[in-house]
Amino acid sequence: MKQAIIILSSLVFSTLFYSQNIGLNLSIFSILTLIVLIISNTNKFKNKATIIYALLYLVTAAIVFFQHTTLSIITNCVVFFTLIGSITEARSSIFVNWLNGFYTTVAGFFHRSFHFNEKEAKPILKKDIDFIHWIKLIGIPLVFIIVFILLYKNGNSVFNDLISQINLKFINMQWILFSVLGYFLFSNIINPVEVEHATKLDLETGNSLFKGKNFSEEDLKKEKQLGTTLMLLLNVLIVFYLVTDIIAISTSATSNAETLSNQVHSGINALIASIVIAIVIILYFFRGNLNFYKDNKTLKSLAFIWIILNAVLVILIALKNNIYVSSFGFTYKRVGVYIYLLLTFIGLVTTFLKVLKVKNLLFLFRVNTQIAFAILMLCSAVNWDYHITYYNINYAQSVDLNYLIKLSNNNASLLKTYNDKNTLSSNNYKRINNKHTNFIELLEDRNWQEYTYENLKQSNNTKTQNY
Amino acid sequence: MNVPSNVGKSTLLAMCIFWIINFTKDVSMDLAGIVLLSAIPIFICVTLVIIITICPIFWILKKDTISNYAIAKKYFPYYAIVMFGLCLMGVIASRADIYSISFFITVFITTAQSWVWFAKENKV
Repeated sequence: MKQAIIILSSLVFSTLFYSQNIGLNLSIFSILTLIVLIISNTNKFKNKATIIYALLYLVTAAIVFFQHTTLSIITNCVVFFTLIGSITEARSSIFVNWLNGFYTTVAGFFHRSFHFNEKEAKPILKKDIDFIHWIKLIGIPLVFIIVFILLYKNGNSVFNDLISQINLKFINMQWILFSVLGYFLFSNIINPVEVEHATKLDLETGNSLFKGKNFSEEDLKKEKQLGTTLMLLLNVLIVFYLVTDIIAISTSATSNAETLSNQVHSGINALIASIVIAIVIILYFFRGNLNFYKDNKTLKSLAFIWIILNAVLVILIALKNNIYVSSFGFTYKRVGVYIYLLLTFIGLVTTFLKVLKVKNLLFLFRVNTQIAFAILMLCSAVNWDYHITYYNINYAQSVDLNYLIKLSNNNASLLKTYNDKNTLSSNNYKRINNKHTNFIELLEDRNWQEYTYENLKQSNNTKTQNY
Repeated sequence: MNVPSNVGKSTLLAMCIFWIINFTKDVSMDLAGIVLLSAIPIFICVTLVIIITICPIFWILKKDTISNYAIAKKYFPYYAIVMFGLCLMGVIASRADIYSISFFITVFITTAQSWVWFAKENKV
């Protein structure tokens, strides 16, 4: 039964993906994968987490069809690995799900080749079909027959003529190999496997921090003194920096946006790095027994103040970026800064919680990876090229058309409308028209496997025009 | 550990995979000699990869109480993930040329199967 499912799925896989670009095929593949997984692992789909990941997988499949962005395709793959990992072991952390999912996808077949459970290992009494024997029985004679035919061809002209008349060009070997790839993929995922070592370690480790064996009051006192001094000085420094930064923003922001852009570009990376270092310093001091030291209140308070001040710093950077965006519009880099800042802000909040609730590093890693996953999902739902273009042509003080034209075809229709309604330079007018024409041609040349929502829109537009 | 047997089997496997993928593009009698001769570089590659990347793991970790199977069970997943990543990078860097694709697919499948053969040698 399983073999039949795998073979059928591999044929569908080839039909969907062979010599095709990504489009409707990835969405259909997601549905197919889900069906195969449900059939072969029905019991695992009673778990809430697995059901949620399965639904998310369907959502990302729909997003790929509707948005057709690189990010949506990446997200679909990430959710695929998460789902496979969740089927392997639903209780494990999300990053272990990724590890298990990826491992299953690339090497599940090999894992099962040598893997057996020592406790449940039973002698194999009956084999339905000896595949290895059949492969040998067909494969080895076939290889030798081909080799000898190729050799005899040169020895006898009559034989050569006869052989030359055999035309096997109707067989597309690449298509067949692609099906083999599909077979390999489905046989890997049909019974998800786990990286036992990592999964076991993850399941055995909780989120709470416990008092260590080497609890030395003397050492902790020294560490606390060092931490308090460092935190105090860093707090003073960051307050000083924040005051100067607020003054700088209030004086230069509105008057000269170009200067601000230079400030933003040169400053943001350094500031974000400083926040990451700040988190690392806090994590260092609160990595172990200092959490349980009775006189750690001052150090804890200073750490909390520092986290809050760093959060203020994040808000200030966001403000700078905001001024910059309102002047020059959105670009991927500027959107990236917002996402980076959001992630950093969340990182600060989770660090705050870690210190407050005496959690371990794994807690931080688990929570942050889950949040990163959620943000990836949300970001993939946005058609960035379209929205960047929409914002820039409608709200930005100056529009960089060169940048917008270079974006993907997702903004082609929007730019075309903008082009028709405004008087642009002849060069830009030509480039936008070319982009739109190329986009329409590309849509028309697509096979059904490559269809996206744009194809549906386009066909509706054509029908409306015909009426 | 029976390294020569493993290398022998892996060489045959590698040759089969490499040429099957390449023959999907073009089959010609002129290639027959090259196919046979290719056994030498393939053998060298396979030997080097197995001896440099797989054998040391077993040589270092092998003890009387630990079987090949136990070592493979613990370390094969990480090896497979890293090897897949490297092969994927190779395919991307070579801009998906058919020879490069067949080379890197061969490397991944052969090394993974080589682990399987080592693990099965003396299953507990």
